[in-house]
Parts: sequence; structure tokens; C-alpha cells
Amino acid sequence: MNESLKMVVVLAVIAMASAGILSVVYGTTSVIIEENAARALESSVFEVLPNVSRVEIIRRSADELGVDDPKEMREQEQRTTLIYQGIDSNEQVVGYAFVGEANGYGGVIRILVGVDEVTDEILNIKVLSHTETPGLGSRIEDESFRSRFIGKTVEDPIAINRDIDNISGATVSATAAADAVRQGFVNASAVYRGGE
Amino acid sequence: MSLFTILLSALLVNNFVLVRFLGICPFMGVSKQVDSAIGMGLATTFVMVVAAAATWLIQWFILEPFGLPFLQNMSFILVIASMVQLVEMFLHKTSPGLYRAMGIFLPLITTNCAILGLAIMAVQNSYTFIETVIFALGGGLGFTLALILLAGIREELQLADIPKPLRGAGIAFILAGLLSLAFGGFAGLV
Amino acid sequence: MRLFKDFVRGLWAENPTFRLLIGLCPTLAVTTSAINGMSMGLATAFVLLCSSALISLLKNVIPGKVRIPAYIIVIATFVTIVDLVMNAYMPDLHQVLGLFIPLIVVNCIVLGRAEAFASKNGVVSSAVDGLGMGLGFTWALTLLGSIREILGAGSIFGVALLPEGTTTLGIMALPPGAFITLGVLIAVMNMIAARQKKTS
Repeated sequence: MNESLKMVVVLAVIAMASAGILSVVYGTTSVIIEENAARALESSVFEVLPNVSRVEIIRRSADELGVDDPKEMREQEQRTTLIYQGIDSNEQVVGYAFVGEANGYGGVIRILVGVDEVTDEILNIKVLSHTETPGLGSRIEDESFRSRFIGKTVEDPIAINRDIDNISGATVSATAAADAVRQGFVNASAVYRGGE
Repeated sequence: MSLFTILLSALLVNNFVLVRFLGICPFMGVSKQVDSAIGMGLATTFVMVVAAAATWLIQWFILEPFGLPFLQNMSFILVIASMVQLVEMFLHKTSPGLYRAMGIFLPLITTNCAILGLAIMAVQNSYTFIETVIFALGGGLGFTLALILLAGIREELQLADIPKPLRGAGIAFILAGLLSLAFGGFAGLV
Repeated sequence: MRLFKDFVRGLWAENPTFRLLIGLCPTLAVTTSAINGMSMGLATAFVLLCSSALISLLKNVIPGKVRIPAYIIVIATFVTIVDLVMNAYMPDLHQVLGLFIPLIVVNCIVLGRAEAFASKNGVVSSAVDGLGMGLGFTWALTLLGSIREILGAGSIFGVALLPEGTTTLGIMALPPGAFITLGVLIAVMNMIAARQKKTS
């Protein structure tokens, strides 16, 4: 009994000490990590909307369900759409930007899309992160691919081989990129223009 | 991505060993004979599927709701280690022959980075429970496939006259490179 | 002098990558460039140093039967610290190394040294052994990364060596290039070791 007790106690102490240290480290670093991400995202907004001098962040919830399931809760958190409004030096709204996500080959592809305030057309997109195959799927970052999305409205299909040309050899990556843009656009447009 | 795409992608297109570089240590260590390769591959696949299920539950029912993402690394590997321990005990009781044949490689399944790797990837991609299990199944079968392929070639090579420095790991890696090149051909598949 | 021997062992004679053939997953995955290889090596070296030292410190307290779970908890703690710190202060590098940072916890080198050395030796020796192994791993990864970067992208540590537009061996950046380069390097190291044996 003594031996078993010792095993349990030693493991428990080590585990608790570890958890304690990690929560402290996490507390400090998570703040910095979030700040980094927010700053990186904001600076990216300047790349997809022209003439912007400041960015305003709008949060809108697509729906307000009361959920218990923890996975549902996280998904619902993600459903809270963040809209980045680009405002120029005359305090006029230039347009809005949002992040669209979809699963590609290797993992999640995140794309920042900038939309014109007046015409509601896509002005530019920027691939924020991806883990696609270098040389193949990574070509979704190429200017030639990104430019295919310029001018699209929320009514356009924004689908590979329909109104967007494919990247040969990287169909899954290209499709995922298009999905990310389209789904993000549909959601953000609804939330920004109409409110649900 | 549909379930079928996830399975096919993990099995062939994004093969865990030849494309994602996971599970290389056992890949090199147990690929000298086809028999042991099959045994190792299937045992690993089993642990992968069970561990994937268990880690999914831990992530979404314990870590997320209690705000403990920083405990992911520790809890996942402890779960994997426990699963391997259970499999060891189970095999020891039900199939002592297989247990003895696998020897030291059974506990070493714990350090197979493919298992922890896939658990983390499934979480990062926000896969559902079913998607996670299918992903694990595809990954495990892909690992087994790569293992059997390399073992088959290495078995044949035992009779070949390989230059001394290349013997063992050297030629094995070059072979793996050629296999990886071949698997690159699956790139446009799905 | 024994300390020196403990340190040097991991650098060459028992180099984890070329001689012991352990810790291979990150070796292939993150060596697409010299800086990536080096960073991965240093991150692993940090974990090796800290976990070997701490495990050695606790070796008389941890009952034998639960030593593996105990070692795992210690190692996972340091790996998580590295993960969080890199994410906060080196986000670009963190994104490149990606999945393989948390995978340091199953790097056979770390658990292997804990079991083979730290559990049986003093704190300073264990720390030195861990550091030696870690640096041995680092130079191996840096070498592999440099070769793949020079041949695959025509640069080293980000500094372009070849004039722009030169065709490079793109395959080097992809999986087959990694496998083949490592295979050839292992063969070269074997040749060097064999020659050393002949002369001694």
C-alpha cells in the first residue's frame, strides 16, 4: 500500500507542479500571441483594401443559440464574425475585410478578403496561412491565382472551373481557397449588410 | 472534404511517412522484413484509431471547456502511453506469441510521432469525431503500406551487393526517397 | 574530464542523427533550410538540457514503476514552454516549424537520454550530456538544412548564393529530396567513421 501510495503521490505532485508552471507561462504568452495575431491581421487589411489609414473592428454574431456541447460552443464562437472596416484619411469607409477558412490538403487555409464598400466587389485577397504542398498547393498565394477573385460579388459562384480557373495539379488546394473566399464572403456580407 | 477524401488523402496523397515525415523511426527500424512490418503497421493503426478517439474526447470535453489548451501536449501523450500499455497487456494475455515477436517495438509505439501528430492535426483541422477516426484509419493504413513496401524492397536487397557505407540506413533512406517520389504521383488524385 | 567526454559524445561518436539514427522525423521534416534546421535543433537541445537535468535531480524521488509517465510529464512541460514562448516571441519561426515543436515530446532522443543517462547520473553530467546530444542534433539538422537550401533554393541562411533565376533542384525542398540527402549523408558519415577506425 505504501509503495502504491508513493507512486500516486509523486506523479500527482509532478503533474500539479507542471500544470501550475504551464498555466503561468500560458497566461503571459497567450496575451502576446493574441496581440501578435491581431496586429498581423490588421496590417494585412491594409494590403487588401486601398487607401486605408485606420482599421475598425466590428463584431457581429450570426446567431445567438444557447449551446451546451463544447464543440458547438467553440464553433459558435467562430461564427461570431469579425469584420475589419477600412477607413481612409477623410473618415470615409473604403470597404470591409473578413477572414474565410476552409480545409485544404494539409490543413486549414485562411484567407483575408477585402471588399469594396460601394460596389460590393472583391478588391483583393491575401492568403494568411496554409500548410499546402510547396510548389503545388502553395501556388494559391500566387498573384495570378489571387487576381482571379478580383471583381467578384457575393452573387458570383466563386467556384473552381466555373468562374475561377483551377491550378493544375492543385485542385484540392484551389477548391479549398475558393470555398474559403466564397463561404466567408456569403457570411460576412450577410452579417455586414443585413444583420441576422 | 468528404470522409472518403479524408481517408484517401491520409492514406496516399498525404501519406504520413512518405509525405508528412511522421513515424520515420519505426519506419526505418521495422522495415527489414515484411512479416514484422505488417504486424507493426496493424498494431500502430489500432493504437492510432483508439488514441485519436480518446484525444478528441479529451480536447473537446475537457481541455476546451476548461480553457486548458496548454495541457494538450501532456494529456495527449499520456493518453497515448496508456493506450499502448493497455494494448501491450491485452496482447500479452490473448496472443503471447505475437507479444514476444514484437518485443521492444511494442512499447516504442508510444514514441511514434505519427500518433501524436495525427491527434494534434485532427484538432487543428477541427475534425468531427467520425472525421478524426477516419483520418486515423487512413493514416495508419498508409503507414502500414509504406512499411510493407520498404520491407519488401529491403528483403530483396539482402542478396544484393551494396557498398559498405550505404548498407543499412543509407540505402534505406534513398529507397524511401524513391518511394516518396512515386507517392508524389498521387498529388492530383483528389 | 569525464564531463568533457559526456559533452563531446553526442557531437560525433554517438551523434543522434548520423550514428544512433534516432529523432528522425523532425530531421527530415523541418530541414528545408539551414535556419529551420538550426532552430529545430536548438529548441530540442533546450528541452534535452532542461529535462535531463530535472529528471536527474528527481531520479531518487520517482519510483521505478512510474518513471516513464513521470519523465513524460517533465518533458512535455518543457516542450509546452518552448511551444508557447516561440509562438509569442518568434511567431514566423513557430509557424514554419509547426507541428514538429509539440512533437519534440516524442523525439526518441529526449526520452532515450532520460532513460539511458539522466536516470542514472548526476545533475551536471546529465545536463552536459543532454546539451551535447542536443548540439549534435543541431549541427546535423543545420547541415542537412544547408544542403537542401543550397541545392533547392540557391541560398544559405536566407542569403542568396546563386544569381536570380538560376534553376535549382526543387526536389530538394520536397520529401524525396529530404530522404535521399539524409541517406547520402549517413553513407558519408559511415565512410568517415570507418576511416577513423582504420587510423586509430
